[in-house]
This record gives sequence, structure tokens and C-alpha cells, in this order.
Amino acid sequence: MFSRNHRSRVTVARGSALEMEFKRGRFRLSLFSDPPEDTELQRKLDHEIRMREGACKLLAACSQREQALEATKSLLVCNSRILSYMGELQRRKEAQVLEKTEAKARTFTQPPAPSQHLFLPPCPLDLRIPLMWKDTEYFKNKGDLHRWAVFLLLQLGEHIQDTEMILVDRTLTDISFQSNVLFTEAGPDFELRLELYGACVEEEGALTGAPKRLATKLSSSLGRSSGRRARASLDSAGGSGSSPILLPTPAVGGPRYHLLAHTTLTLAAVQDGFRTHDLTLASHEENPAWLPLYGSVCCRLAAQPLCMTQPTASGTLRVQQAGEMQNWARVHGVLKGTNLFCYRRPEDANTGEEPLITIAINKETRVRAGELDQAQGRPFTLSISNQYGDDEVTHTLQTESREALQSWMEALWQLFFDMSQWKQCCDEIMKIETPTPRKPPQALAKQGSLYHEMAIEPLDDIAAVTDILTQREGSRLETPPPWLAMFTDQPALPNPCSAASVAPTPAWTQPLPWGRPRTFSLDAIPPVHSPRARSVAPLPPQRSPRTRGFCSKGQPRTWLQSPV
Amino acid sequence: PTPLPGQDVAPQRVEIHKLRQGENLILGFSIGGGIDQDPSQNPFSEDKTDKGIYVTRVSEGGPAEIAGLQIGDKIMQVNGWDMTMVTHDQARKRLTKRSEEVVRLLVTRQSLQKAVQQSMLS
Repeated sequence: MFSRNHRSRVTVARGSALEMEFKRGRFRLSLFSDPPEDTELQRKLDHEIRMREGACKLLAACSQREQALEATKSLLVCNSRILSYMGELQRRKEAQVLEKTEAKARTFTQPPAPSQHLFLPPCPLDLRIPLMWKDTEYFKNKGDLHRWAVFLLLQLGEHIQDTEMILVDRTLTDISFQSNVLFTEAGPDFELRLELYGACVEEEGALTGAPKRLATKLSSSLGRSSGRRARASLDSAGGSGSSPILLPTPAVGGPRYHLLAHTTLTLAAVQDGFRTHDLTLASHEENPAWLPLYGSVCCRLAAQPLCMTQPTASGTLRVQQAGEMQNWARVHGVLKGTNLFCYRRPEDANTGEEPLITIAINKETRVRAGELDQAQGRPFTLSISNQYGDDEVTHTLQTESREALQSWMEALWQLFFDMSQWKQCCDEIMKIETPTPRKPPQALAKQGSLYHEMAIEPLDDIAAVTDILTQREGSRLETPPPWLAMFTDQPALPNPCSAASVAPTPAWTQPLPWGRPRTFSLDAIPPVHSPRARSVAPLPPQRSPRTRGFCSKGQPRTWLQSPV
Repeated sequence: PTPLPGQDVAPQRVEIHKLRQGENLILGFSIGGGIDQDPSQNPFSEDKTDKGIYVTRVSEGGPAEIAGLQIGDKIMQVNGWDMTMVTHDQARKRLTKRSEEVVRLLVTRQSLQKAVQQSMLS
């Protein structure tokens, strides 16, 4: 008996994009003889409409700015989802109508080429967006602490997901979103659009003075003609390319969110590790919600094609045992991922028993519907060949009937096609965690940061750093580190004093002007253009010294060299 | 290449196409360093507590030399993977993945590090 996973044969049918007019008030699409997916979509649409009403009421009742920010965010996300679902319903309706009219004119052609697999959950995990504050703002920490509320919107197809809202001020080096986002349906040609929205926490009126000064600074620092061009291009950024997912704020009154940056990720960005992607910046300094984004986003985009995690075919087979021409074992074959598992009994597939034989199926595998061993009265065979180094290993399998052979061949062809479409996602199964309930942001060690090489342990205490330095070998502290000048308002000592061991101590008894906790590393590569010692940023030790190093087993004694 | 925050000089991007030698894909250079190594023995680093990955040797005429890698370069990233907080063996593995024929490195050079150091003293 042969069974096939039929979900894997459905194509993602997309009609042409439609522009929908946003209608105020309640609305309902009437659908005739809805397929099950459409009723599901309608249900989601109704849900979002109810959520939207709730968000409007909440916004009207808000007294505090932060509540209003959350409510506005919910409202805007609801609006976007409503538009998106309506658009999708309309597209499906059109596709159905089109099919009916075309059916009359259809002529019989060859069966279509193997179709793409549905389903993959690309889910950006642990998203981080580095910020780039001017050193004067960041290290001096003077002036009013401006705060921004930011969140990220992710769209894939008609599905929109949002992250939690995070409050950002200039003590943060990165915007870090903890929520994992999971999309459960996409084809290999997916486009995952990320958009970063921000709003001022303070009332916008208070900031009208600053933007003009900043704008002047921007154009003068870039040089007159290039500055003009840069500003002109930024002005038109809102209109270029595709329109942002988020609609303009309704006339309810409340905080205004602005699109700060966006990017689109595709299959090429999927990798089982952290990567840095470029962000397209969409706002400029005159915008009250402007944040100094560095221009990148670091995240891990993982994808699990369905063919890797679900069995795509199963059935009874007879496998020729190695070295024994006459002995064909009866097995239950399961095609899953890049392997054909042959179990002794059908139940073994579910109980975790080891299969009798596992045959690898990858891009280099060759499959033939075989005429081998026909002479021995074994029809309906197929052979699978893999190259291992210099050896070629061939497994011959006999199926139950001609139809079963055809079905197995089709399943294998489909797998080859899917592997060619999903590319690196089929090399091995990427780990995907189901989204956890949102927790408050925590400081976690991350990979792939642009700031990363300056990480210090412990992260948030300059006094502790200087403590570490005092514990190092005495010979290293003949002169106080040059960056101390920043804390002491004195020029760095130019030459070592004769009493070398005494020198560092007085400088460190002064109270440090710095009490704010840091979430990550100190961005401490000093700006080379600063002439005065005062504004030079500290260059912390590259790694924590041995006393607090990673190796708990003791100090490493070797410095290995390896050829690659 | 975009500069790191606060820097005027950009790090170098080096693209190495591996060379097939029998069963292996080689790059033609050697690495030293790692968070599990003793950084004071690193002859190339300015800061002797730097536990990063450094290029200790470049084979003449090999893929790395052709691509412009130099002895003493500090490797910051390989194909997007961070290399500033890895063990020696992790670094070696990230460079020698059999599925990758091309590796794109982000490196910083000695002259850059010296310039950074000197600017602090002035």
C-alpha cells in the first residue's frame, strides 16, 4: 500500500495584486461556496475587525503617553492586517472566477512540472538592530533623555506579525527584539519584509527646535551639493518602491509612528546562524521620530521546508540485501527529508526504532526506474545510487506494482525539485523554536554584532573594568591607560613616572560620572578625527583578562596555529 | 565596505576561492588565536589580551594570497559568522566547511589598529 502526502503538491496560486480602498466602519465581504481556507481567512478578518474596535476604544481612554503608544501600535497592526486579508480574499475570489471561465477553453496538455512545496516557517530569531549615537550624546549623556518607542513589523504574503514595543534611549547600543516570529506558510520564492516603526515618547511639539539644527548640520557636514542630494533622496524615500505596510494614523489623535527603516529578506538570507543584513533607511533627521540607525539588522532566519520534516511518501518495498543476490527483505519505506528509511515494520517508523537500511537522497543521488534483475522475475524495481568517495553504492528496491513504482518515482522527482528550490535549507534541518510568550528584554550574549569585538565582561561597570586592570600583571600598568583621561579631565600622562606602581591610584578615586547600565558592549572604537583627549572614547581591553576569562579550567598556555 | 562606528578607515573585505586538492578544499593560510588560547603569545596583535583570530602565515601563490589576505590580519567575520569570540577549533571549522567554495572574510589590518592606538595618545 502506498500513500502520498498530497499537501505537498499544491501550488501557491497568486493572482495579480489589487489595490484596496480602505473603507471606514464595518464591512463584510460576501463569499459564495467558500473553500475551507477562505472561511478561515474570513474568520481572521472578523477577529481583526473586533480587535480594531477594541483598540480604538482603548486609545480614546488612554491618559498616559506610553499606554497610547501601545494602543496606537495595536490599532495600526490591526488596520494593516485587515487590509492584507481583504486583499487576499479578493485575490482568491478573482482566481476562482478566472478558473471557471478558463475551464471551458482549456485544452489537454502535458501534466505540469513538479510543483513547489508549500510551508516553511522562516522565523527571524533574536533580532537586533545596532544604533550609532554620536559619541557626544552617548558618552557624555547630557541633556534631556529623548526616548522612542519602536517596534518591528514583518510581512510574508498576507500574514503580518509584529514584535513587542521597545523603549529606546541613547544608553542603548542596539535595539533588541526578543520575540521569535513564526510564519507557517511560504514557498521558496518568499519575500519577508521587515519594517521598523518608531514614535517619540515625548510629545512631538517639544522637539521642533532640534530637527532644524540637526538638518543644517547634516547638509553642511555632507558638503553642500551632496547634502542637498542626500536630503532630496531621503525626502522621496517614502514614495519610492513599495508602500509601507502600515497605514497612516487614523484621525483618532495620538502618537504618530513613522517608518524608520525597511528591508526584504529572501531564501538567500536563510542560514543556520546569525547574519547581518542591510537596512534601507527611510527617514531623516528632520523627522521627529528619527533614530540614528547604523544601517544593519542582525538576525537568524531559519527555514524548515515541509519535505525535510514530514514524510513525503511511504509504502512497502523489497530491498536487495547487500551481497546477497537472492535475499530481498520486505520493508516499510518512508521518504523523509533527504533520506529513505527502510523499517522492518510499519510501526517502527513511529516508535523510534532504528531502520534496517537508510538510503541517502541528496542532490548528487541518481535514481533510475530499473530494468535490473528483470530476468530474475522482479519487475517494478528502482535503483538509487550514491557516490561515496571513489565508490558507488547502489540500492535496488522493488515496489508492489507498476502504479506504486510510478508513485515512488514521482515522489522522488518532487523531492529533487524541492531540494533544488529550497537550496541550503535542505542541507540539514534548521532548529526552529516555537514562539515563547514575550518576556521583558534581557541582556544576552549575541553573535554577529558590529560592536562585538569590544565586549567586556562584566558589561556594565566601569569601576569593575578598572578593577580588572589593577589585577593584571604589574608590568602592564606603568602608565595609566590613555582612556582614563576621559574620566579624570586631565590629559593622559605622557611618560611613565619613576614611581610606576603609584601612578594609577589617584585617578581612580574620583567618582565616575557613569551609572547607567548598558545592555551590551561599549562601543569604544575611538573616533579618529577627535583631537582632544576629552572626547576620546575608551578602548577597553579586547577580552576579559584571565581572571574572568571563559576558561574555567585555568589559564590557557598554548597559542595554536592551524593551516586552513 | 562600510566603516565600523567611530572609525574613518574601513575594514577590508577579502573573498577567497578555495582550491581543491584531492579531497580537500584549502585556502592557503594559517590561523592563530581563539578564546581558548593564550593571547600573550600572539606576535601580531597590538593588544596582548586580544583573543581574536589572526592570520599567521600565507602560502605563496595560494588562494588567500591571491585574494589579498596578509599575514597579521585579524579576522572579524567569515561569511557573516562572527570570529571575534570563538575558540581556535571553531574558527578553523568555520573556514573549512566543505559545502562552501568561497569564503568572504572581514579583516582589519595592522596599520588600522596602529592608527587607532595612536589617536588615543594624542
